[in-house]
Amino acid sequence: MAFSGNYMCTSFKTELMTATHNFPNSTGNTFKLALYDNSASFTAATTAYTTSNEISGSGYSAGGGTLTNVTPTSSSTTAFTDFDDLTFSTATITARGALIYNDTAAGDPSVVVLDFGGDKTSTAGDFKIVMPTADATNALIRIA
Amino acid sequence: MFTVDIKSDVGQVGVETTHNRGFTPEELSVDCANKIISISQSADPVLRQQAEAFKSQIQQIVLYYMKQSAKSERTTIYNLLLNAGEASLAEHIRRL
Repeated sequence: MAFSGNYMCTSFKTELMTATHNFPNSTGNTFKLALYDNSASFTAATTAYTTSNEISGSGYSAGGGTLTNVTPTSSSTTAFTDFDDLTFSTATITARGALIYNDTAAGDPSVVVLDFGGDKTSTAGDFKIVMPTADATNALIRIA
Repeated sequence: MFTVDIKSDVGQVGVETTHNRGFTPEELSVDCANKIISISQSADPVLRQQAEAFKSQIQQIVLYYMKQSAKSERTTIYNLLLNAGEASLAEHIRRL
């Protein structure tokens, strides 16, 4: 089993229609990013956060880091939202990918699966997830 | 029958790591400028060149203030350590 690409979870798309998720910056839900090794087998069918194959190490706690929401907006016919970059400081960890999930909603439903394309390692240093620019062509989550 | 097609996409994330240090102001200022100014690959070459030049100026300004911030933070830490009786440690911080 291994990471096989980036996915917007199918359950997330359904949950958008049932008002499970709320993304505004100050009034929205709390979203978290958890890191995993390459034994994780996330796909579009992934539905929720799991501790299985989640990494461990100095500077990282189970459940991952809390993200800062970028309030959803739109440009032309594309609606989009994003998050600020997330840094795990003074961390000694190795991760192959990540799962963003809604920590506020019941059951910690998943949002997107992120494949780093290879193992990434920090040693007593910073491990930073650089989110794409929040615009209609690059943002992390886009609906056109 | 009417149908509406909706397409959803996931953007590309990057990962940057360091070993036995944190990020430098130079590295952070590049990320900062990239967040402030995004230049389309399909932009007119002349406009693109102007945008790249502007982005470079923004990065230099951000870099300057990041370095000032780091220096000020070290001054604050130096004084905190000095007041706590850690003169030797404070001197190490001052010399960074």
